[in-house]
Amino acid sequence: MPSAAIIGVGQSGYTRRPEPGQSTHTFIRDAVVAALADAQIDARDVHGMAVASFSLAPDTAVDLAWKLGLSLRWLLQDTNGGSSAMNMLGHALRGIESGAADVILVVGGDATGLAGYGRIAANYNIATRDHLAPLGHGGPNGVYALVTSRQMKKYGLAKSDYGHIAIAQRAFAAKNPFAVYRAPLTMEAYLAAPMVADPLSRYDCVPVVAGAQAIVLAHPDRAPPGRAAVGVRAHRASFNYDNQAGDGLATGISTFAAELWQAAGVAPRDIDVASIYDDYPGMVLAQLDDLGMIADHDLARFCRRDIGEERRPINTWGGMLSAGQPGGPAGGLNAISEAVLQLQGRAGERQVEGARLAVATGYGMTMYRYGGTAAAAILERVE
Amino acid sequence: MSAGVCIWQCKGCGTKVFPQRLLCPHCHGAAFDEERVHEGVVEELSVIRHMIGQESWQPRRIANVRTKDGPMMTVGLRDEAGEGAVVELFQEEGGPFGRRKTG
Repeated sequence: MPSAAIIGVGQSGYTRRPEPGQSTHTFIRDAVVAALADAQIDARDVHGMAVASFSLAPDTAVDLAWKLGLSLRWLLQDTNGGSSAMNMLGHALRGIESGAADVILVVGGDATGLAGYGRIAANYNIATRDHLAPLGHGGPNGVYALVTSRQMKKYGLAKSDYGHIAIAQRAFAAKNPFAVYRAPLTMEAYLAAPMVADPLSRYDCVPVVAGAQAIVLAHPDRAPPGRAAVGVRAHRASFNYDNQAGDGLATGISTFAAELWQAAGVAPRDIDVASIYDDYPGMVLAQLDDLGMIADHDLARFCRRDIGEERRPINTWGGMLSAGQPGGPAGGLNAISEAVLQLQGRAGERQVEGARLAVATGYGMTMYRYGGTAAAAILERVE
Repeated sequence: MSAGVCIWQCKGCGTKVFPQRLLCPHCHGAAFDEERVHEGVVEELSVIRHMIGQESWQPRRIANVRTKDGPMMTVGLRDEAGEGAVVELFQEEGGPFGRRKTG
């Protein structure tokens, strides 16, 4: 039995347009309250916290601890965007394992508003501010439009291939009461949607929402009675894997995938549920291919057969593309949280029967031409 | 507007980079010479039709360009240059731009 595991998850409501009085802080509070209730942990027993948010400033992690009334001896603030969640998970596991804290809360959330998101996108880093924003590059939509064009040429993908991902995830979202978009999506509607940044159209671009997600880690014995904790068989991360000198069609996952599977003692074929960071459908494919989960690197066949026809259980909460992206950090925590719910048999209508092993990934920090951070974990139910 | 786009060449190994780095990604040398690259080939392009948080947005074109001297660069296109077109590069307020090369 591992000495550290996930024992509870919780999220705030998600909304495209926050009400007056709602803020990043209130969404984070709601997620924290929900996660502690789910884990059946008293706030006074929390001695560690990790947080990631694009809109917590000028507050920092210790200010959040103060406002939540948490007195801590382990504290982390992560800045790795779409892979923050996975990064914080790795650190929190080691925090528990080392005895630094018995219970660690990991939380992410954002409520930037659409205009606030635009400002963040234009000032994401110095390279973006100085060399991309002056072009009117469209934020990450523009960056991944170019990456997606490259992917289409390299792998012979049609626009409709990406549609299979958006449509399949929307069908899962219909079974997730927290998802912001739950109405069924057809291929006809997908292909008719207005273009945002060619070749990306409306349903290819992750919708920005306000919200937060939290998870609670502790020794698996601390899991609520009658519920299995979820452990991590292996966890790996990568940062600035190629100095932005490649084509962006492989992610940092490609640098550690073999080691990840070996450390976990399982293979891609053993996975029951996959939570793949989905800011854009093309990046779902890139990460799955890096993980060795796309046979023969045939991305087009995978989209048409494995997703379109067989509905492989990928992003079963609807993914960020349908459930919404409450900032990259909380979006990444959604992926972990869904894997936990599936492995605990608590995913309701979207439950994958008999799910015992899951893979979750994070991908983010668009430094210039594509993302520079990535991480993945193999999760399992602790018996 | 200035002709060409500033790139940086490592004095140690000659590697050319854009944007600027603190150390060379190849040899980790700290000394660079500034150069200007004037030409590249459009490999992919996009039309940015909407920008989140902007209500009066005018569509604009961006492209991934393989520069003649090496580094890949994202540029704004100021004309209808398509994939495969050779573009001349110029810089405005730090941003790299391109337009179809003539002559």
